[in-house]
Amino acid sequence: MAKYILQRLVYMFITLFVIATATFFLMQLLPGSPFNELGGKMTEAQEQILLEEYGLNDPVPVQYAKYMLGMVQGDLGVSFQYDNRSVTDIILDRIGPSAHLGAQALIIGSILGIILGMIAAIRHNTWVDYSSNVLAVIGISIPSFVFAGLLQYYFAVQWRIFPPSFWEGPIYTVLPTISLLIFPMAICARFMRTEMLEVLGSDYIELARAKGVSNSSIMFKHALRNALIPVITVLGPITVSLMTGTLVIEQIFAVPGIGEQFVRSISVNDYPVIMGTTMLFSVLFILVILIVDLLYGMIDPRIRITGGKD
Amino acid sequence: MRGNKWWLLVLALVLGLVLAACSFEDSAEEDDTDTDNVEENETDGESESDGEEGEKVLRIASTSDIPTMDPILAEDNVSFQYTDTVYEGLYRLAPEGEIVSGIAKKDETEISEDGLTYTFHLREDAQWENGDPVTAHDFVYGWQRAIDPNNGSFYANYLMNGKVKNAAEIYVTEDDESDVEPLDPSELGVSAPDDYTFVVELEKPVPYFESYAAFQTFLPMNQEFVEEQGDDFALSPDSILSNGPFKMTEWEAEAGWELEKNETYWDAENVALDGISVKVIKDADTALSNYEVGELDRVTLSGAQVQDNQTSPEFLSLTETSVFWLKFNQDSETASEYMQNLNFRKALAKAFDKQAYIDVVYGNDSTPVNFFVPEGFVEHPETGEDFQTGSDVLAYDVEAAQEFWEAAKEELGFDEVTLSFLSGDSDVAKNISEFMKTELETNLEGLTIEANNVPWAQQLEIMREQDYELAVSGWGPDYKDAISFVDLWITDGENNDIGYSNEEYDALVEAAKGELATSPVERFEAMQDAEKIALEEAAIGPIMQRKTSVLAKDYLKGMESLNPFGNDYSFKYVDIVK
Repeated sequence: MAKYILQRLVYMFITLFVIATATFFLMQLLPGSPFNELGGKMTEAQEQILLEEYGLNDPVPVQYAKYMLGMVQGDLGVSFQYDNRSVTDIILDRIGPSAHLGAQALIIGSILGIILGMIAAIRHNTWVDYSSNVLAVIGISIPSFVFAGLLQYYFAVQWRIFPPSFWEGPIYTVLPTISLLIFPMAICARFMRTEMLEVLGSDYIELARAKGVSNSSIMFKHALRNALIPVITVLGPITVSLMTGTLVIEQIFAVPGIGEQFVRSISVNDYPVIMGTTMLFSVLFILVILIVDLLYGMIDPRIRITGGKD
Repeated sequence: MRGNKWWLLVLALVLGLVLAACSFEDSAEEDDTDTDNVEENETDGESESDGEEGEKVLRIASTSDIPTMDPILAEDNVSFQYTDTVYEGLYRLAPEGEIVSGIAKKDETEISEDGLTYTFHLREDAQWENGDPVTAHDFVYGWQRAIDPNNGSFYANYLMNGKVKNAAEIYVTEDDESDVEPLDPSELGVSAPDDYTFVVELEKPVPYFESYAAFQTFLPMNQEFVEEQGDDFALSPDSILSNGPFKMTEWEAEAGWELEKNETYWDAENVALDGISVKVIKDADTALSNYEVGELDRVTLSGAQVQDNQTSPEFLSLTETSVFWLKFNQDSETASEYMQNLNFRKALAKAFDKQAYIDVVYGNDSTPVNFFVPEGFVEHPETGEDFQTGSDVLAYDVEAAQEFWEAAKEELGFDEVTLSFLSGDSDVAKNISEFMKTELETNLEGLTIEANNVPWAQQLEIMREQDYELAVSGWGPDYKDAISFVDLWITDGENNDIGYSNEEYDALVEAAKGELATSPVERFEAMQDAEKIALEEAAIGPIMQRKTSVLAKDYLKGMESLNPFGNDYSFKYVDIVK
């Protein structure tokens, strides 16, 4: 097990290195300069001074070497948009609200989804099943910002139950969390229902029934566990994207999260922040994949972890 | 058996999560009701105290976080607005753009006869938040710090280069071919003969130097404090030392910031507000929702919101000094032959409906214009009349446009022509290119417009390289002088990306920048004449002077108009009267 994890970690670093390198060189292809926010009031000479100051006049390989060295030492550079603010600070400042919302939405959403899916499977082909299906389809196909807009309009502006936006306490997280959790909930419900149906029709469940195992025991002990595998597979990537923030939801509820920077840093050519956010996303993603793989083994021992014999 | 234990663990985990989630949700909902009540109580309490004690906190939104609170690095509206609120320079902007005394007593300022030396006398009761007096040395340090190329200030060079003595020699790029050794920042033409006298020496007269004295790049800085903070300077409220009407007490990245009245400010008794609370809201609908539920005192409207709210008694439309125009690139590699033809340019300039442009693109009551120096910006130095006397040379007139178009066709010998139209990739920018395409293609026979929508950064680069044919862009002034507009189109000017060149125009603008500096009336008229020439020659096709639409509570005073240059608002003079 330890050997397996170690091996995976080594792969992880290689993957991250490749991602960093590819992003770094792709980023150089972005049109425009990082210093044209001023709408062209800057002279060539001034731009030169700035390019020099940020080391952008060095040949690209030199910049690359400098950046990689810095990154190994935990220095992600300084943002161009926010003068003198380090990228690490920007990410640390902003990731909190995003991760908070993401975690809340993920936990509540997946649990509601699993329950919904189970109920639908148990009450297969009844109105419960149909309505849960309809809910799931709505949740998957309607983007979260539509819910966000509706929730904000009714719950905040019309009925004034919740504050319309900002980030000042638990109550402020309610509306954004609800908007965000609908998607993972719907996905979980869909997968859970399909898997449960399949598992419930399998021989070992028949056997368990024949042995007179109680219904709840069959459901929770035998069926749920096996049905969880695909749910966990889809939840992995969703976790990462939820935890790193959602541009639209964060804008609608004025949440000071990191989501915006994934888009904005690119449109303003803020190279260090582009690298920083990309690496953040990659690290989380790779970690989550590892965790998902480990979870497989925990949930279903038939999926063996074989210390690198492949 | 081992597997069974794992299974129990997972079950426990899942159940734990279920319970945690449920309880969280419940508690969250309980919290809701609780906090809701508390909040209502609080707001009630607030409004009561508003009535009794007059706790006046202005609550507004900003579309972005503050990029920097270091005044010399400020390059955007938000940074300028809040550095101005926290600091005070020689002069200050009052509502309507009036320049009034700040740390320097304006009516005691001495200007040498040649207009090259300014002597400012500072008030002795001004102090920094930490109790240090604000002295002329703080100004010297602030100005030197700004021009030091190592500090990377864009505006310092933009405003001082060739104007303040030695600025150009100090701000030199390292790899400049000329082997001139850059001067030390301490050589800048500023000095402090005593603690309360600040002297600035100029290379040439700058008739609008008053605006500089109120500009954020020229603020004093407390050297000891700045050096103590080092790289952390201005990154958090603790690393900002205020000498202005307000001080920053909280600043949370991307969430917002709080300002509190600075009791040590020399003119604190004339600061009406007790504080300002700013929230970052990027989404316009969210901002409006917050205004509607009473979380904000004022909100800027955008797009469809303008029309939806036009009838509201709280609706205000504020004139800006930003003017937008259609650019014809005469240096374009592909179409310069056409663009250099006067009739061709005139036809394009007159062939689109400016009012319809505003309706389609902004949907507000911006003013269609036929000039490029904005209205309500500068006045005649003697008569006080507005610079802008209006012009209809380039007014929208399809018939005239078609006549020019036919004439151009004859002169250039073409039947059909395709021009590219450069624009951004935002919704507004796409509206612009679609509108222009339809309008110009319908009104000018044989013209095809190809829209080229690219990201903003790329758009600016293309414009700078003059690799476009048509584009819409605008300009807002940094100081109160028409030169900031007429200087745009001089031959080979830094910002002349339309390839326009006219000797007569150049001569007038050069005169305004040089020999006429000390004769304000002639200078003013020279600039008026220059604008006239550029319009008659259809250097650009003017479109509109922009307006901003807002909703504001009626108890908010002092924010009924935008300053014509510099910061939009002067918070020092804002009041809440309930």
